[in-house]
Amino acid sequence: MLEINNQYTVIKRKIDTEVLKAFFTGRLEESVDRLPIKIIPRDRDPNRCCVYKERAMVRYRIMALLGVDIEQEDDDYRSLASYVKQSWESPMPVFPTLTTIAPGCSSCPDEQYRITDSCRGCFARPCIANCPKEAIRFVNGRAFIDDQRCIKCGKCLDVCPFHAVIQVPVPCEQACPVDAIHKNDQGFVEIDREKCINCGHCSRSCPFGAIVERSSLLQVADMLKGEQEVVAMIAPAIEGQFPGSLNQIISGLKAVGFSEVVEVAEGAQITASHEAHEIGERVESGLPFMTTSCCPAYMQLVDKHVTTLSDYRSQARSPMVYTAELCSDRYPQAKLVFIGPCLAKKVEAASIPEISSVITFTELASLFVARDIDIREMPEDPMVSPEQIFSDCREFAVTQGVANSVLRRCDVPIQTMHINGIDRKTIRIMKTWTRKSPDAQLVEVMCCEGGCLAGPGVLVNPKIAHRLRQGVDVATVGTRPIVGRGKHVQAAGD
Amino acid sequence: MVHKKVVVKICVGTACFVQGGADLLLYEDFLDPDLLSMCEIEGSSCIGRCKLDDFEGKAPFVEIDGTVFGQMTPKRLIQLIREAVNAGNK
Repeated sequence: MLEINNQYTVIKRKIDTEVLKAFFTGRLEESVDRLPIKIIPRDRDPNRCCVYKERAMVRYRIMALLGVDIEQEDDDYRSLASYVKQSWESPMPVFPTLTTIAPGCSSCPDEQYRITDSCRGCFARPCIANCPKEAIRFVNGRAFIDDQRCIKCGKCLDVCPFHAVIQVPVPCEQACPVDAIHKNDQGFVEIDREKCINCGHCSRSCPFGAIVERSSLLQVADMLKGEQEVVAMIAPAIEGQFPGSLNQIISGLKAVGFSEVVEVAEGAQITASHEAHEIGERVESGLPFMTTSCCPAYMQLVDKHVTTLSDYRSQARSPMVYTAELCSDRYPQAKLVFIGPCLAKKVEAASIPEISSVITFTELASLFVARDIDIREMPEDPMVSPEQIFSDCREFAVTQGVANSVLRRCDVPIQTMHINGIDRKTIRIMKTWTRKSPDAQLVEVMCCEGGCLAGPGVLVNPKIAHRLRQGVDVATVGTRPIVGRGKHVQAAGD
Repeated sequence: MVHKKVVVKICVGTACFVQGGADLLLYEDFLDPDLLSMCEIEGSSCIGRCKLDDFEGKAPFVEIDGTVFGQMTPKRLIQLIREAVNAGNK
């Protein structure tokens, strides 16, 4: 998986910001076709083959930002302005969330193991000794891998004393935990929608930016511009994503035009209480284990690939669902926007009529920058108390945080375990659970390694985000080690 | 002889922070301890460059001994701090 901040993600944020700036000046339609040229000036030192290809890719990114499904609507003759017009006239359907840009795909060669010229042709030959398929031969005093026989187990790579074996992956295929991404007949990336669980790992790992999420950002910007009441439902992972306290982030959200801000941690409290009650009942009735149900990518994983676990999931709805219910009670006239780190949430939200749109933290960042909002300079909102009954549920965003929140609400002693990130191996293990129960009654599952703080829509390295979440001032955050657990957890224990 | 420390201010205004400036705050991880001991590094409020047209799109900014540099990356920061420390030693 690529670093959160790389040259591609940085330019992506810049594109989002430029489009929003044009939108807020009311001149998006007339200027949008010139934006790729403005963003990629002729004298730029290009990262792709030339500035013209870079501009073409910016054009695609803007299409995704307008919500266009690039796979279906890739018409070179159409202007971006006409897409803008279309997106106002008829909002694009949400599915599929991820779309691919074939011209951006590098058609990476299939995954392979190769012997480099660091091979010394040694006497012990551990590569040959350990290869289960006799795929390694010696040619001219050097090891050679027969592609026809190689099953890509990686044993030779592990044992070579000279590190002469390299594995060349296809980054998107390697990142996908459910084998939903592959190359089509032309050699370009293609997503199998039947298998895809919308975790977004592929889009985060493609170094060419050929897999993008279709955005609702402009619809949200349009809502904020109008008279309509708009409520921001902020996922617990938001703290630490911006250079200020949670309170300052809330002030910032109000400054960009949200009429109210509601923490999804409030709904998470209902989820945690429900799960605490449920696990007590299940243990009593002799059921071996229960998994959490708040990670939407995991929910899709079970529905599509590990159906045996369907009944083992908690019946609790997700924090987003409960929060949406709270919001529609409190603000019946308002539109609800979920702001989180997650792409799978877009799919989940599509089935919840109360929620109008979902945007990510990176998209919110562009909104702040386009509107010249500096979170660091925002006032602390005196109406918002940092300590609430649901404060500890802000830890839902972090590995172990969900299980711990449930534990604190549980009367009976239970054992917990954590699935910190889903990959192929974890899925294989999960499939065995109905035959051999995990060694715990409550299994917390998070699809992203590191929890939501490491989701595909975050913009800050979790190391920094963790420290900011502990209340460290951003000016001195570089010198502060991560200590213990989050402040919210400690506060709740008092 | 006591060396004068190199003063480094990393802009943590929102525009810089979200354009990769947050990564610069991991300087304890990527700066050599030797260099680290020669610097005083801290996050600073918006240094205002992002508001100027000439510097548009150049975030994140870092100020090293009074000079502002744009489009900062950890790699470039290491290099610039090394240069500043060496200049101070002469």
